[in-house]
Amino acid sequence: MSVDNEKLIAQYLLGELPEEQQVEIEDRAFSDKEYLASITAVENDLIDEYVRGELSGTERQRFETRFLASTERRKRVEFAKALRTVVAEPVGPEKHEVRRWSWRESLSAFFGGLNPAARFALVAAAILLIAVAAWLFVETQRLRRQVNQLQAENQSGQNLQQALEAERKRNAELNARLDQEKQQREQTDESLRQLTETTEATNPVPPPVIASLVLLPGLSRGGDEKPRLDLSNDARLVRLQIGIDPEEQYKTFAVELRTSAGRQVWNRENLAARARRGTRAVGLTLPATVLKPGDYELRLRGLTEAGGAEDVGFYYFNVRKG
Amino acid sequence: MLDGQDHVQTVPRQKWTLNQEAFDKLLVAFDEDRDAAGRKYLEIRNNLTRFFEWRGCSFPEDHADETINRMAKRVVEGEQILNHSGYAMGVARLLLLEINKGRQREQSALAEISTAPEAYVPEDDGERRLTCLRNCLQTLSPDNRELILQYYQGEKGEKIGNRKKLLERLGIPVNTLRMRALRLREKLQSCVEECLAGA
Repeated sequence: MSVDNEKLIAQYLLGELPEEQQVEIEDRAFSDKEYLASITAVENDLIDEYVRGELSGTERQRFETRFLASTERRKRVEFAKALRTVVAEPVGPEKHEVRRWSWRESLSAFFGGLNPAARFALVAAAILLIAVAAWLFVETQRLRRQVNQLQAENQSGQNLQQALEAERKRNAELNARLDQEKQQREQTDESLRQLTETTEATNPVPPPVIASLVLLPGLSRGGDEKPRLDLSNDARLVRLQIGIDPEEQYKTFAVELRTSAGRQVWNRENLAARARRGTRAVGLTLPATVLKPGDYELRLRGLTEAGGAEDVGFYYFNVRKG
Repeated sequence: MLDGQDHVQTVPRQKWTLNQEAFDKLLVAFDEDRDAAGRKYLEIRNNLTRFFEWRGCSFPEDHADETINRMAKRVVEGEQILNHSGYAMGVARLLLLEINKGRQREQSALAEISTAPEAYVPEDDGERRLTCLRNCLQTLSPDNRELILQYYQGEKGEKIGNRKKLLERLGIPVNTLRMRALRLREKLQSCVEECLAGA
């Protein structure tokens, strides 16, 4: 507002203006809120000037006539006096120090400045935001659990797949071994049949020549203690008695026969052990033609009910022909 | 009025007073909506109070109420009011003429008794007012407290200098600073009056 305007308002407030100008000022004040506030500000300035004794004689008289007429205005003059006293009081440096507002004060001032409707809207918005955040959290957790579950199922499926593959492989191996055993059995049966035919063709029928050897556990690979099988030229079958510890719990056994070079020459499964005079032994019959002169290693394994096989012992012997 | 013996009897003039029905009709004349009408009523009353204050009347609120009474009477009598604020000011100015005439009559009567104008006697609750003001200042935020103290600190040239520093520090126009100071002052004054009334 210009100084001239302020001066005009001061003159109005002191009753120095003609009626026409007073009416103009009043009409403007009640239609223009800013102008109304300006009049109040000039009022306060006049009051302050009166309190400080800065008004001229005439102005002071007019002020006292008009301003001090009502109780309300007298209160404003008293307030101005008190404000002047308090403002002039000496204060410590910390009181006038402008400090930064903490975030709490800022928030408090912000809320304090809002009207009730805005405050309500803000609170409602905050509650809605919290509710949405909570829902999102719960939903995220649920989806996370679902993903974990799906991953676990997927993993389980893969594991099953792998197990199935392993099982198929094992089945194929078992089938191959079964075929091999069948082949060996047929070989043995053929040998027996040939032997039988040969002996039946010439009478009397002599019994087939069977070479036997008893293998006991605990004999080492090296040294001269190895049992020896002397195979005559007319031996048709070889019978091995493989002794086992009577404590062994296995019901059936598997046998693998290898040369000293590691070449497998014979194997059988599902051989039962027989008890005799306090001992137990597994019997193995094989064609004599299988065994060539040399050292052999026999691996005996116990078969478990789950289908697995566990080593029971290794047996070593030597074969001589002639 | 003539009685049976041709004596003139004077009938005392009954002053019209605002009743609930008249008040309700006045509010409806302001606005159909009760809340909006209430706000309009308060605005008009506040403006009338200020008007009578500015014109140096001793009882501005009473005169404001009297003005509204007269408006309500016109409404009850069936008068159509288009510009309520303007109409209220018109009634107020007529009332002011009556008040001034009455004042002049009083002053003439008083002039015969005493020539000295009545001196202003300040109230004697100065210390309590100071204590209340100090307490009320503490209810302001630190920044607002700083603003109001710096705005009113100093005399003449020093005061102008303080206000310039405030403007530079806050970076706001001079009118904005003035309005802020005005609102804080009004807030403090209300606080002080409440404190004094409660003490």
